[in-house]
Amino acid sequence: MSDSAKLSHTAALILQTVDNGCSYGFDIMDETGLPSGTVYPALRRMEKEGWIASQWEAEKKALAEQRPARKYYRVTRAGAQVLEQSQRRYPLLGKLSQKSRR
Amino acid sequence: MPEEPKQPRLVSVSQALVRAAAPLVPRAHRDDWQREWNAEIWHRWQFLFHTGEWNRREQWLLLRSALGAFADAAWLLASQEAVRSRISEFARSPFTCLSAFALILFSIAAASSGLHATRQMLFSQMPSKMGDLTFIWLHQYIGGGDKGLPGDVVPAWAQSSKLLNGVAGIEVKHRAVAFRGRTLPEKPLVLTASPTLFNLLGVKPAAGKLPAENEVVLDKRALLMLANSKTNVIGSEIKIDGEPYRIAAVLPGGFEFLSRQPTVYLMETLTYAQKAFVVARVKPGVSDDRLSKELSRIAAEITAYYYLQGQMRFSTWRGALLTPLISFSIATLLASLIAWMAFRPRLRQIRIAFEPEHRRTAARRVLFFLSKTGLGLACVFVGCLEWSRSESSVLLASRDPGSGPFLLWLYVLGTMGVLFWAVADQRARCRVCLRLMAFPVRIGCPGCLLLDWSGTELFCSEGHGLLHVPLMAPSWDEEADRWISLDDSWKGLFAHEK
Repeated sequence: MSDSAKLSHTAALILQTVDNGCSYGFDIMDETGLPSGTVYPALRRMEKEGWIASQWEAEKKALAEQRPARKYYRVTRAGAQVLEQSQRRYPLLGKLSQKSRR
Repeated sequence: MPEEPKQPRLVSVSQALVRAAAPLVPRAHRDDWQREWNAEIWHRWQFLFHTGEWNRREQWLLLRSALGAFADAAWLLASQEAVRSRISEFARSPFTCLSAFALILFSIAAASSGLHATRQMLFSQMPSKMGDLTFIWLHQYIGGGDKGLPGDVVPAWAQSSKLLNGVAGIEVKHRAVAFRGRTLPEKPLVLTASPTLFNLLGVKPAAGKLPAENEVVLDKRALLMLANSKTNVIGSEIKIDGEPYRIAAVLPGGFEFLSRQPTVYLMETLTYAQKAFVVARVKPGVSDDRLSKELSRIAAEITAYYYLQGQMRFSTWRGALLTPLISFSIATLLASLIAWMAFRPRLRQIRIAFEPEHRRTAARRVLFFLSKTGLGLACVFVGCLEWSRSESSVLLASRDPGSGPFLLWLYVLGTMGVLFWAVADQRARCRVCLRLMAFPVRIGCPGCLLLDWSGTELFCSEGHGLLHVPLMAPSWDEEADRWISLDDSWKGLFAHEK
């Protein structure tokens, strides 16, 4: 990861939303109000950069509940550092984080 | 718990959209990608259904979200190294350059009713009675610029000239027009002219009668704008700048004079304060010089205006119509001359290029250069003509750039821009395959110019050669850009797979 990785406000908002606990693409869309055509490419890019990691939920659990398994996303350690930088760059983002954790 | 629902049609449509977008996704990720999207759509629907929020709005929102699968798939496709390299190769190819110009030309044609002004200029069959009309205007030596003549010389010429068969003064202005109590939001073009204008032009009205003094004539576009094409306007009152006039006639549909805009013709004898461009019918065989002398004499005797030799200028209708073409040709010649001097093409190199072993490559390069320059210049000519105020250029036929039409300046700047770009672009292309050079590498450092070369090296992505572009081209070295051809043994280094 680059030390001076700079995210756009939209990408930082998506990363913050994942960090706040929204693990699925459509949940992130609900939370941020961004369209799927923005959220998914941003998730792919952040995954490529190593800021988030994706994982399929256990197939067995999904089968037991008679539903398809979902892919969920979580922020990696590198991503957490980038997010910290972004919160300094976009102070309102930091407030959003504190508010949601309260 | 509610009964297990049957999958709604919009959910199936959403999944079909995902299936449609899937081929864009690289094969290695496709199944995983499709599974993720389908799972999200399914969960969204189930969640909304079980919470009782599955309404029409949510259905459409789901469908809209599913459309995002295309953006997602396109991003995954574009992020592939092979695709990116193919896109960049495409952008560098000579075919893309020519296609881009062709596309611009097509767009201009689509946005300008099929190149209306250009077609009119080059191919129109003008009414035979208008072909031999002559425009007369004044060139002011003091202060420069082409101006109209004082309006009161027109009746003097009409009365006393032996060389003119007819004459009318015209003044063109945008003025406030009100009709049936409604003032038009935008001021239309009002052409104030001597009542003899339509006799001179040889045009008969489509409705009404030839106008007299202080009467108004509408062309078809003006009629459409004012009265939605209803011809029962004859005899109605129209106000121009608050003054009432009566509409005497409506002109035929295809009639166009000076402007393509809706035009209101106000028949009024021009006064000395109005700057008039004069349109006249000159008797056959009369030279400009003879005409100038006679008109100057009449102006001096009757109205006491004195004109210098050559101050009065003449242009035939056809000549005025072709003014943009002449201006463009002059601008192109001027720009070519400047480009030739600026780039100092070396004759030695041209000689080498046309030696038998290089002839084929050189011919391709020349053909490409001429094609892109030709297309670029065509874009400038057509684009500027269509979008500038071409009618003012036609009317003024100015030869004075200080106050000449905007079009002339557009042509000068446009042709210079195209020619300079074309030469710079040609130099930045591979001498063999004509692709733009790639992989720029900076060599040396700016401080070591005295002892070493500092500049950029660019490579042909096909491995045909490399181009050295110095940071500063020294005046003593004519061969500033150095092209070094690479033979086939280098090709392995350029792993560009076809």
